[in-house]
This record gives sequence, C-alpha cells and structure tokens, in this order.
Amino acid sequence: MNSSSTQYLNSKRMDVYDTMHPFSMWGDFKGNLYQDAAATMILEVDAKLDNQSEDTSHTTNIPFNQYDQEATKPVNKVLRRLAQNREAARKSRLRKKAYVQQLEASRLKLHHLEQELEQTRAQCALMSGGVNASHLRFPKPAKSGIAAFEIEYEQWVEEQDKKTNALKAALHSSLSDEEIDKLITDNMNHYAILFNIKAAAAKADVFYLISGVWKTSTERLFLWIGGFRPSDLLKVLVPQLQYNLLDQQSHDLYNLTQACQQAEDSLSQGMEKLQQTLSEAVACSQALGGGRYEMHNAMEKLEELVRLVIQADFVRHETLQQTLRYLTTRQSAQGLISLGEYFQRLRDLSSAWATRPCEPTA
Amino acid sequence: MQQAIPYKSWSLPLSNNHATGVTPKLTTESAVGALKDAVSENAVIVLAPRGCCMSHVVKRLLNGHGVNPMMFEFDEINESEILKQIESIMTEIDGTDKRRVQFPAVFIGGRMLGGLDQVMESHITGDLIPLLKQAGALWL
Repeated sequence: MNSSSTQYLNSKRMDVYDTMHPFSMWGDFKGNLYQDAAATMILEVDAKLDNQSEDTSHTTNIPFNQYDQEATKPVNKVLRRLAQNREAARKSRLRKKAYVQQLEASRLKLHHLEQELEQTRAQCALMSGGVNASHLRFPKPAKSGIAAFEIEYEQWVEEQDKKTNALKAALHSSLSDEEIDKLITDNMNHYAILFNIKAAAAKADVFYLISGVWKTSTERLFLWIGGFRPSDLLKVLVPQLQYNLLDQQSHDLYNLTQACQQAEDSLSQGMEKLQQTLSEAVACSQALGGGRYEMHNAMEKLEELVRLVIQADFVRHETLQQTLRYLTTRQSAQGLISLGEYFQRLRDLSSAWATRPCEPTA
Repeated sequence: MQQAIPYKSWSLPLSNNHATGVTPKLTTESAVGALKDAVSENAVIVLAPRGCCMSHVVKRLLNGHGVNPMMFEFDEINESEILKQIESIMTEIDGTDKRRVQFPAVFIGGRMLGGLDQVMESHITGDLIPLLKQAGALWL
C-alpha cells in the first residue's frame, strides 16, 4: 500500500508540474521540497505503524497522538483514519500549490502590465515634452513612431465619427449644395490625413500596420495589406446609391468597380510574389551557411513590403476620390455618410461582441 | 482582336559578368542603343530592377487589360547607368519633362507614363485604356 500510494502521489505531482511550465524553476524548487517532505512524512508514519504492530502492549509510547488520541481503539480503524488523513493532507497540499501558482502567474502578469503602462506613459510624455525623461529608457524610433500612430489614429476615429454625424445633419437640413460641398471637402481632407499617418506608420514599422492590431477585431476580419479592401468601398457605397443613379453614372461606377478589382488583384499577386522571393532569399542564406550578406537580400524584400503597403493605401485613396468624381454633391454626401457609418458599425460590433455575457464556466 | 506582345526578358549583355564576382564596366554605346531601341520599338515596356515585386504588380495590371508588356530587367549595379539613359531618352522626347524616374518605369508608345503610382492612378481614373489604344497595344 505504501509504494502504490507514493507512486500515485508522484504522478499526481507530475501533472501539476506540467501545467506550470513558465514557472518551472520555482516549481522544481518548491515541488521537490514538498515531495521530500511528504515522502519523509509517509516514511515516518509507516515506521510508526510498523512499530505499533510489533508492540503488543497497549501503552502509548509511540507518538501517534497527532492522528489518534485513544490508543486503545482497534488498529484497522486507526489505519483507515490515517489513510484518510494522508489523502486529505495530500489534496490540501495540491490545492495550496495550485493556488500559489495562480498567484505567481497573476503577479508576473501584473508586473508586465505595469511595465507596459510605464513605457507607454513615457513615450507620451516624451512626445509632449512635458516630463524630464532622464530616468526613463529612451524608446526606439520605431516604437515611438507606432506610439504616435496609435494616438493619432484614435483621435482620427473620434474626429471621423463627428464629421460623419455633421454631414448627416447637414444633409437632412436645408443647407445649400455649396455648404455641403465644403463639408465633403473637409471629410475628404480628413481621409487624406488618415493615409498620411498610415504612410508614416508603414515606414516606422510595416509589420505593425500589416498585423492590423491597431484596428478593432471585426475590421481585422476584412484586413487586406494593412487596411480595408478598396473593392469593399464600392461594395458598401454603390448599393446605397443605385436607385438614384443616372445611366451614365451606373456605367462609370461599374467600370470603376472593375478597375478597382483589377488593381486589388494585381497588388495581391505582388504580395504573393514578394512572399515567394522573401522565402527564397531566406532559404538561400541557410543553404550557404547564412552569411550576413544573404540577409541583406531578405532585408531588401522587406523594404518592398513597405512600398506595397503604401501602394495599397494609394489605391484605397484613389478609389474613394474617383468614386466621388462621378457623383453629385448630395450623392457624395450620402456616400460618405454610408461609409462612415459602416465602419462605425463594424467597430461597435467589435465592442458588443467583446462584452457579450458569457455562459458561466462550471 | 487584341494582339498580345510576346513576353521576353531583355538583359543587358554585361549583366552576365556578375557571376564571376567582378563588377562589370558598362560598355556604353551598345547598352544605350539597346535601351533606346527597346523603348521606341515596344508599345508597352516596363523597366525595373531584377526581382522587383512592384514590377510584377505592374505586369499583372497590364495583363488584366490584355496587354503583355515587354519587361526590361536590369541588375542593381547598373541602376545608375540605366537611370542616366532613361533621362537622356526623356529629354529627347520632351525636354520639359523634369520628373524623377521611379522604378518600375513604364513607357507607353515611347513616352514615359511614370512609376507605379502614375500607372495605378491612370488605371483607376480610366485614362490608361485610351493611352494603350493610342500606342497600339490594344485593339477593341
């Protein structure tokens, strides 16, 4: 019984070890202690059991008091209680271990979050120049470029929602076409700003932009080369307007849809080609023993990635501008409102999904 | 209906030397002549460094119009020479054209349309098709 219970104990402990990989050092240290302590306790108890079974007297000269006060009780009851106690003690130790591990994990996470927060605060302070940053680590240029983008983009989204609402109000009021035109120009200038800050971000860290982490999760579903698909623009706009279009406009927009799709496809193929040549450049360096010179080729490919992303933004911008050239003032206003609302709804959908009530886990 | 121009990759003769590891000296007359002829003889020609992915984008875009452009690919080492030659060609055609040459450089009907930006823009605005027809690259 002793060996089997000990083995069971060991395997149980191994399970617990498996779940705590990141904390293996701590786990090994503490776990071994527990193991040794527990093994020692078992040996002690077993030794005492042996002693008692050999002792024919009813005196309590053996220190069993911690388990059983009345030494006159039958031996099997004592044995059973001992076994139950062992089980309970073991379970209690495992529970404690699990709890402590959870605490450790939370502590590490808290530490990381605090570090991140400090870094972000430092970068903001450095940019606004309002803090003596001598005691803070100076951020790498790329990171500060991205930190700047994150702030600017957040502001852009807020502004964009305001402008969309302003345009909506204008369209439903009795403003003249000229005044609506001004709002349209304002809105288009705002889009130009978006593509400018995106270009800067692409040069700072193209992988950040391509990953889409700066977008909400629903928008990220539709991600294509660091942004929305140009063809999506027309897919959203045209159905909104289709009943009010003249034949010529329908014709022009149809041609634009085709051209936009072709441009998008050619960029997609460019991306495939880039991935292929990058892969070849990287694989080649392995075959030749990986000299630094070979990495230079791969690095050049990554420069092309920046160009590709900026080109994709160019197509997005160009498509939007060309669309409005085919539309009247009121149609343009309607189009921009639809577009603004569409992205607004995607963003709201993300939040709603993230905060939806989950079924409580058992 | 449409006559597609056969695809041919045209390298400068000196580019074969790069395998020996020696930086080749550009032989002037023949190279200049080759480039100039290529530009004037082809309705659509794309000049780009070898392995450039953006030239692939341009090629695909033109393919979408049913055009198979002549691809003139050069090695990086020769880039500055090629640039000079392009600029001399441009001055010959139109001395007032002071635009900076960007690769991939697209020539239609012997005149430089521009880089990828210009090609994309003219494609989306619909100006590309008439240009291609004018140059005889498209019949419809």
